[in-house]
Amino acid sequence: MFNIAFTGEFTAFFVFSAIMICGAVLMISLDKVVHMVISMAAVFLGLAGMFVLLEAEFVAFVQVLIYAGAVSILMIFGIMMTKHHAGETEPAKPIHQSLAAIAALSLFGVLFYAIRTTTFPEPAVFQQSEDNTMAIGELLYTGYVIPFELLSVLLTVAFIGAIVLAKKEAD
Amino acid sequence: MQSWLNQPLTWGSALVLFLWALVFLFIVLGFVTYAIYFERKVIGWMQLRIGPNRVGPFGMLQTVADIFKLLIKEDTIPRKADRALFILAPVLAYIPAFSVLAVLPYTQNLYFADLNVGLLYYVALSGISTLAIVLGGWASNNKYALLGGMRSAAQMISYEVPLVISVVGVILLSGSLNLRDIVAAQSGGWFWDWNFIPQIIGFIIFIIAAVSELNRTPFDLPEAESELVAGYHVEYSGFRFAFFMLSEYVYVYAIAALTTVLFLGGWHAPAPFLAFVPGIIWFLLKFAFIVFFLFWIRATLPRIRVDQLMGLGWKVLLPLSLLNVFLTAIYLELFIKN
Repeated sequence: MFNIAFTGEFTAFFVFSAIMICGAVLMISLDKVVHMVISMAAVFLGLAGMFVLLEAEFVAFVQVLIYAGAVSILMIFGIMMTKHHAGETEPAKPIHQSLAAIAALSLFGVLFYAIRTTTFPEPAVFQQSEDNTMAIGELLYTGYVIPFELLSVLLTVAFIGAIVLAKKEAD
Repeated sequence: MQSWLNQPLTWGSALVLFLWALVFLFIVLGFVTYAIYFERKVIGWMQLRIGPNRVGPFGMLQTVADIFKLLIKEDTIPRKADRALFILAPVLAYIPAFSVLAVLPYTQNLYFADLNVGLLYYVALSGISTLAIVLGGWASNNKYALLGGMRSAAQMISYEVPLVISVVGVILLSGSLNLRDIVAAQSGGWFWDWNFIPQIIGFIIFIIAAVSELNRTPFDLPEAESELVAGYHVEYSGFRFAFFMLSEYVYVYAIAALTTVLFLGGWHAPAPFLAFVPGIIWFLLKFAFIVFFLFWIRATLPRIRVDQLMGLGWKVLLPLSLLNVFLTAIYLELFIKN
């Protein structure tokens, strides 16, 4: 069932998974919002490590740059303006908790069963390119240029919308 | 170095790589110690003072004594501070500062990592230090520290954008994100083959944004003493404070080396008849000049106002750096491709 060779790659995978799972659990269970953001940043960093293991360095460091760096700082920036010791003090109901636990466990059971019983097709031989970054760039500007441009338009629209909203409030 | 990096990782080679990293750590610590000494000396001379001259010959041991004082000081954590984050912040500031040094190449053969997205790695990891500064300011539970942290975050985010876009021109010219390939693309023999002349707009924007990223004068608003006591590290003392100082000076090292690599031709000699001098000497000369330049502007320029800072970043540097990318792309399309 567990035919695993203990290579360095497996160890690294294990360490990164531990970081991500711990970060995710802490993110839900911690009280202070700033602590939650930090544990979320840990999840992002673990994910970047996973991408490095998959030899996708470009995606990995973009992940660090955008999520672990920019998004976390943005969230902390917003949160710092809020109250320092604002903790949710509403007591959790035991029925809710046990129902949530049962739902989570059964979801895990279904997923685990599905993954174990599925036979995955043998993956086609993946052509490892010389330079991943260059391959991504070439694909982005040849095969996927229209979705790429549409996404940039979408982001620009969101950006202008944010400016308009902020300006309306300032007036 | 290459033979060590390319062979499969065993316990033996891992140990050797670890020892190399340790040696490098001590070199960086030595640099920081004497960078602080020379900064005080150079600024002293420029302002017609003598500078430190009491501890050791010519005051050479002054910084050592200062560091020793910091290390044996009592470590205080304010009672109302957020204890966990207060302890985490200096660690989080230093780890990225030291990790970014891994991708910087010194000569053809002396480098510590050959990453094909080296430049992106540098930019991505240095962003995490901002997070540490904001956290340090927030966790101190002190209004001056919080203000310093907020200013720092606003400033570093605003100037990171032009910093990254200004190097896109260099990437376009050399066609690679690997810092070794970027240096190799500048090998023409003469100094006008280096990127700083074809990319003069990008170079100037890079220097301004880099000084701002380093939080140094004239952009040292996050620690403006006259307004904020000391900025985000007001509540820190002892070795935790030393870690913040250390990561700041390690970034000086990193930015000086990065400027040398990206714009000043790395280890290449400025003229073909000077090529007999080993590359590491040229690298160190250029590197030392950039570090001196940073001290020089600190001694001569006043601090700019906080409202001017954001305007300069977003309204001047960002459009100019976008224009630089556009011009470089047009130039490549018209003259190089055909």
